[in-house]
Amino acid sequence: MAEPSDPRVLDQPWRIWASIAVMAIVLSGALLGVLIIPVVQGRSAGIDAYTAICRALGILPGSPARPQIVDRNPPTPVSQVVWTPGLLQTLAEATPERGHAKVQEVCSACHGEQGVSVSTEFPNLAGQSGTAIYKQLNDYRSGSRTNPLMTDIAKALDETIIADVAAYYAGQPTRNPDPSTLAVAPDAIVRLVELGDPNRNIPPCAACHRQGAGGPIDAPVLAEQRQEYLTSQLKMFASGERRNDVYGRMRTIAAKLTEGEINGLAVYYRAGFR
Amino acid sequence: MSEGLQQTHERRVLGTELLWAFGVGVLVTATLSLIVFTALTRGINPPSNVERVDPKTLHLSGEFAEQNLGTVVAADGIVTARIIATQFMFAPHCIALPQGQPVTLRFASPDVIHGILITGTNVNTMVVPGYVAQVHTEFTRGGELLMPCHEYCGLGHSEMWANVQVLSAGEFKPDRDGRLTCAQR
Amino acid sequence: MRNADRLCLAHFWLAFVAFAGAAMLGAWQMWVRSPLGAHTGTPGQYYMSVTAHGVAMAYVLSTFFIMGFGYFVAVTALHRPLSGKGWAWTAFVVGVIGVAMTLVTIALGKASVLYTFYPPLTASPWFYIGLILVVAASWVWCVLMLVSMAAWKRENPGRPVPLAMFATVANAVLWLWTTVGMAAELVYQVLPAALGFVQTIDVGLSRTLFSWTLHAIVYFWLIPAYIAYYTMLPRAAGGRLYSDTMGRLTFVFFLIYSLPVGLHHLLMDPEHGNGFKLIQVLLTAFVTAPTVLTIFTIPASLEIAGRLRGGRGVFGWIAALPWDCPMVLAAGLSFVMLGFGGLGGLINMAYGMNAMIHNTSWVTAHFHLIYGGAAVIMYFAIAYEIWPRLTGRQHESLVPLRWQLWLWFVGMMTMTLPWHWLGLEGQWRRVANFNYDNPLIASWGPLVIVSLGGGLLLLASALLFVRNLAVLHRGVVPASARPLYALAVDPPQRLPAALNGFGLWNVLVLLSMLLAYGFPIAQFVVAPSPTAIVHRAE
Repeated sequence: MAEPSDPRVLDQPWRIWASIAVMAIVLSGALLGVLIIPVVQGRSAGIDAYTAICRALGILPGSPARPQIVDRNPPTPVSQVVWTPGLLQTLAEATPERGHAKVQEVCSACHGEQGVSVSTEFPNLAGQSGTAIYKQLNDYRSGSRTNPLMTDIAKALDETIIADVAAYYAGQPTRNPDPSTLAVAPDAIVRLVELGDPNRNIPPCAACHRQGAGGPIDAPVLAEQRQEYLTSQLKMFASGERRNDVYGRMRTIAAKLTEGEINGLAVYYRAGFR
Repeated sequence: MSEGLQQTHERRVLGTELLWAFGVGVLVTATLSLIVFTALTRGINPPSNVERVDPKTLHLSGEFAEQNLGTVVAADGIVTARIIATQFMFAPHCIALPQGQPVTLRFASPDVIHGILITGTNVNTMVVPGYVAQVHTEFTRGGELLMPCHEYCGLGHSEMWANVQVLSAGEFKPDRDGRLTCAQR
Repeated sequence: MRNADRLCLAHFWLAFVAFAGAAMLGAWQMWVRSPLGAHTGTPGQYYMSVTAHGVAMAYVLSTFFIMGFGYFVAVTALHRPLSGKGWAWTAFVVGVIGVAMTLVTIALGKASVLYTFYPPLTASPWFYIGLILVVAASWVWCVLMLVSMAAWKRENPGRPVPLAMFATVANAVLWLWTTVGMAAELVYQVLPAALGFVQTIDVGLSRTLFSWTLHAIVYFWLIPAYIAYYTMLPRAAGGRLYSDTMGRLTFVFFLIYSLPVGLHHLLMDPEHGNGFKLIQVLLTAFVTAPTVLTIFTIPASLEIAGRLRGGRGVFGWIAALPWDCPMVLAAGLSFVMLGFGGLGGLINMAYGMNAMIHNTSWVTAHFHLIYGGAAVIMYFAIAYEIWPRLTGRQHESLVPLRWQLWLWFVGMMTMTLPWHWLGLEGQWRRVANFNYDNPLIASWGPLVIVSLGGGLLLLASALLFVRNLAVLHRGVVPASARPLYALAVDPPQRLPAALNGFGLWNVLVLLSMLLAYGFPIAQFVVAPSPTAIVHRAE
């Protein structure tokens, strides 16, 4: 019997055999996964070995077992706005004072200097999300959204001043909601806003339009918006006349709302519920 | 117990353990062999498609612009469906697919992580922003199937689902451009 | 055991209070999801609850229980005072601060991102900082476990480390390896986004880093149950451990094979190629080995106990076992749940079958059964076993303890078995509100109600558990000294370094991780995914 206090006698075989076993298992996995399976699969799908192995590694797109689809190039997009970090930086560094000057020059005639509009068919902009304002102005500029008044106005603006105007209006304070109207929100409308309607695929309005919900970053604030404006926009989304919502998010939802719900939601948000 | 007897005993115990361990090895090998066998003979793979695409410009042009979504039959007969998963809906909301033919489903997300499964089938994939998720499959049975979003994507996740219409050969009629939308029922 | 009593009790109480609160939230969630509670509560409330439930059960209950249990083993198995008790208390305080930060942020609605917190959904930075503090506290625990074992080995050269401590340190080493993934994701990607330093995030990389942690963490949770099986159960049953060597090998297997398998949580993801998914599936098949080995060794150990108590015939020893002992009862029930959960795990691993059940209720059922069932029932048993030693008081009656264990078992089976079926039917996960007007979904309603029933039984069991422990603090019957740890049939005299330490295994883990995770992570450095805009959920 070997010297009991000599550790090597006891330890060495463990070191060797354990290493061999574990490494053999890992390497056999690699052999199967990266070599054998893709090559065999590729052969029956008419894909050469090199491509099949690259696909199995994830270096090339596609499956080693099926030919890859070739995509087509399609036509016009619905909005030209791309949310990149650079754009978000531009918005964060915009100059509200320059925006204020432009607002006094152009926008206040309809939207008011503090963002409270002069007439019910023009939207309030006080405290509106800066990203939302930016997107809509750019969509007017590019023609993704059309309006007889706004299209020409927006085409005369450039990216920088749009960001400034957006920052200015976003910083304007919102009014206090009217307490008397706050009491009369019907259950069905509150349900739509907070719970949505799973039967009709309608997510809660609050899931996107409430701040901090984690929804799309260009979702506009709806609280204290003009009732007539909200109604008209929802109807335009429903008919497809307004189509600058990316992937039809609002078109799909608005088309499923009843007339009563559209009116009810507009009243609800006009009162200032967030 | 003398040391020799103890060692014999120890060896016998280890012997039974090793016998069982051999059985474990057989079980592990059998399970793995089944997986490798189906991979080699039937091309069964997990849905993998390392194809990078910029989620921020997805809507602008290229494959996933709004007008290019949905089912299209190419000139060579290959059926592809392109679907966007976004907060909190799928575009298109209803997807028409043929029964009994190989189809390729391609998904992309412009915002957060989503995922899909189609009830009654083994179509299942995550839709990760930055990648095109691709599933090759064949629907063996016709009918109206549900395609919910199955990964938490925000507060509207519970209301996010689409319909899949699997149409028989007689009903699956693409238009002149090879496009097909769901039949109104 | 005076030395670290208070330290252990502090950790346990934090764990169990969080557990009881999370159980209440879980029951509420099940109610809201069912037809009985449809349209109750908003999605905001539901996802806040799910996040709190997940964080409490997955991060607080588990981590603090394991830390407390580890300190207990370090003192009682090694028969020496705990090294670095001051550090341990400091770590506990840091952990408490972290838990408070995280839970308060969740309660304020600023962190409804679920315990898996997948970016680009991003919560308030305090949520993540709280979790980082909990992990940091646990790292101190890991170091103290390693220090304790090293000190004992110095004081006892050439002798085998007692199995309970060897297994605890294996778990500590595993945890150090495990947390690297999540820590890297948090520190390098998520926290900068949450703090507003960056506006975009590479989602493929974050999911991959999280998957590194996501599988191994469940073995971190499971190993204490195995420590109880191997070192406490045979003694409690009145027998011996059949094989000490296999016990050590079991824990070594867990250490090696829990880590390079995380990609099996990403089998349905597009950002990795088939090749690496297969490598990690193959390795996953090997992580079933320690469990299946245990299925032999532990019943063999129990057979010794049964036959010593007079059991005859091929299976007669089973009835002869002391089933009125909570540890034995819990282990028996745990094995049943381990069987179901383990089979479910094999199905999850085979990606062809995984495609049927990924992100369905099957997954929810699986992890509730195997962690909430098989592992946590052993946490109860361990607590019942060692509470008398910590408080100096004996349980006045074992009846409420057995009731609590049976309630947990029946509740867990009632809750999870229908869920497995619903998952096969296609019921998907993390839904606040189901559309019960849809005929397919309506057909699921009855089973959802059955599993709600299971959930209510679990809530009752959870509250009874806390009660059973609380009464001991005011108990009158003094605890009787009883040996805790089992002896092996052939106690080891001399062990190879491989079964007495982790040097070799650390090297092998490193090599396997490089081969299995090297390319999958490196690909994001070499060819980063197009990044996604951060969505702030606060």
